[in-house]
Order: sequence, then C-alpha cells, then structure tokens
Amino acid sequence: MRNGVTAQDGAAPAATVKPERADGRRMRSARTRQLIIEAYLALLRESPQIPTAASIAHRSGYSVRSVFERFPDLHTLRVAATDDAMLRVSTQVASQKVVGGRAERLRTHVQTRGRVCEEWLPLWRALNANQGDSAELKNRIRLIRELVVRRLEEVYAPELSTLEERERRQTVLALEALVDFESWARLREHFALSFEEACGVWTRAIDRLLPETPPVS
Amino acid sequence: MSTPKSAKIDGRRLRSERTKQLIIEAYIALAEEMSPRVPTAAEIAERAGYSVRSIFERFPDIRALQVAAIDYSLAQIAALSAPRGADGDRMTRIVSHVRTRGETCERWLPLWRSLIVNQGDSPEIKARIRIARDRVTDRMEKMFTPEFSTLPADERRQMLIALEALTDVESWARMREFFGLSFDEACQVWTQTIARLLPKRACGTA
Repeated sequence: MRNGVTAQDGAAPAATVKPERADGRRMRSARTRQLIIEAYLALLRESPQIPTAASIAHRSGYSVRSVFERFPDLHTLRVAATDDAMLRVSTQVASQKVVGGRAERLRTHVQTRGRVCEEWLPLWRALNANQGDSAELKNRIRLIRELVVRRLEEVYAPELSTLEERERRQTVLALEALVDFESWARLREHFALSFEEACGVWTRAIDRLLPETPPVS
Repeated sequence: MSTPKSAKIDGRRLRSERTKQLIIEAYIALAEEMSPRVPTAAEIAERAGYSVRSIFERFPDIRALQVAAIDYSLAQIAALSAPRGADGDRMTRIVSHVRTRGETCERWLPLWRSLIVNQGDSPEIKARIRIARDRVTDRMEKMFTPEFSTLPADERRQMLIALEALTDVESWARMREFFGLSFDEACQVWTQTIARLLPKRACGTA
C-alpha cells in the first residue's frame, strides 16, 4: 500500500524502483513456472512415462527445489499443465471459424480436431493415467469432453437441427466417440495412417453419420 | 516304480499350474477393482492366498504376470464373442454384433483401461492391444460381409477403421459413465451409428 501511494504521488525515486523490482521478480517467477510447465509437456510428448520431478527440473534448467517452490507437488503441476493446455487449445480452436457449407465446415472441423489430437494426445493420456481420485483432474477431463461436444453441436448445428431430440443426442454421442483422442491415436499409431489419411477417415465417417443439410431459408 | 514317480511329477506340475492360474485370476480381479492402477505383488499374493515368493517363482516380474493375464482374458473374450447370427438380415446382424460387443466392453472395461494406461513402452502389451483390436475388426468383417463386399478395398478399410474406433471399449465407457446411458440405450447409439455408416445396399440385395 505504501509503495502504491508513493508511486501515485510520483515522489521518491527509490520507492518507484521497489515495485518495479517486485514486478520483475513476479515476472521472472511466472516465467519460471511457465518453463516448468513446458518442460513437463515436452517430456510427456517424448515418452509415455510420467515425468519425474528430477527430469522436469533437468529439462527446464531449474533445480528440483525451484519446481517444488512453484508447485507444492507433481499433482499441482499436472493440473496447471492441463489448464495451460486447455487455454491454448481453446485459442487454437476459436481461431478456426467454422462457417460455410457442409463440406467446408467438415474440413475445418476435422483438420482442427486432428491437429489438437496430434499435439495433445500425450497430455490426454497422462491426464487419464493420473486422474486416480483427483476431483480436479476428473473435472478437467469432463470439461474437455463437454467442449468437444459443444463444438460438434456448433459446427453441425444445421444438420443436427433436422433430427428429433433422441436421435440428435445419439448422433452427437457417436460423433464424439469418433473424434476422440484415442480414436485419432488408433488411426495414426495402429493403422499407421498419415495426418491427411486420418482426416479422410473422420471426414467420410462424419459425413455418413450426419443427416442431409437442410436448405438455407 | 516309474509310474508312481511320473504320477508325482504330474501332480506337482498340475498343482503348480493351478497356482499359476489362481495368481492370474487374483491379478485380474484386483486389476478390475483398482483400475487403472496395477496391483502390487503383495496385494496379488494376499488375494491369491500365496506368498510373494510363490508369485515370483512363476512369473519373473509383474509385467510378465500382466501379460499372462491379458492372454488369459483375450482367450476368454474370443470364446465369448464368436460371431453369432452372421447369416441374418442386416438389422439382426447389427443388433447381434452390438449386444455382444457391448457385453464384452461391459465385462472387460476395467482391465482394458488398466492395460491402455500402463502399456508404457512394453512391446508385449502393445502387441496384445493390437491383437484385441484386430479381432474386433475381423469380427466386423465377418458380421458385415454383405455390406462390405459392395465397397472398393480402400473405402472398405476406411469404413472398418471408423467402425472400430466407434465401437471401442472407451467409447462404450463414455456412454455408460460420462453420458449415463443404460446398457440398452448405449446399444441403441451403436446400432444407429453402424446402420448409418454401413452401405445400405448389401451384396445380393436389390
């Protein structure tokens, strides 16, 4: 408070330096935190093994102590990494406006979803593996699935609007299963399809599952 | 003299096999209860009623026991999910396939989840996951032969891949756990989905 008042008065230069210092420290600490999260995510992408505190510290270039100064335990780090990823995915998805005719919407949706699965599959697997009894992780898994469903409902609103409620729900559930992370993983890992081929499988299947697009009135 | 000796050896072998089997069954029961956590040697020993040493006399490590348990489960699944009603009409075949697949998923979900989560870099477990998925695909090829036979090879493969993804164990789990559907409601979703995906005109129909 004292610093704030002094700074507002524009008086002693020493007082102005103090909050700057504090801000600098806060910024550095936030950056360290972010780098630790990124190290955790990078390790997950490289190996399905759950990263240890030592490996996260090593990758981020900080000490194990630094990791635990920012995150009281690895579970908190997992939750923070999930939140960070969810924010990035939301931005990524929101930047892809899904407009236009059926084919165009299908293409944009499948390509975006494919890229999200490609990038975030390791985190998704870790999230499922580590959820245990964690209400925080379970909530995030639920939220991610709800976001996928909402996106499907938004993108294919014209087609879904032609169905009666029960059939509409069944179609959305089938679409959700189709564009799941593990479904993507199977296309890429088990069936060894290229990114484009995998998108092709999803595109054709969604196209068959959806009813005809109603004429624009 | 030689007959009683071999009888003794056979008895020992039989007992050892039975112990092995009981350890596998204890592992499966615990893996289902604790899924996706892998039970510890001490927990398995306690459940099976043997010592930890007995376990490691039969399995070099927990991973080997896990693999043996998967093989046992795969054999059971194969026995229970042989294609039924493959000569029926389109809807009979879809319904039959969906119900059998639903029952399999219902029964094996915890073990499957534990398998997926704990596969790590294990080539043995990955190979078994592949076998399980290939079996699902093979079964669908048999059940929907009339429909698939109308498709060119490339399209047929894509259709099979999509159907396999849609009828995955986790897809079943989501309907049951996340969306709160009953067994019959979940079957209806899959039935409707497969009916939409499969070509309407089957080989030999007008």
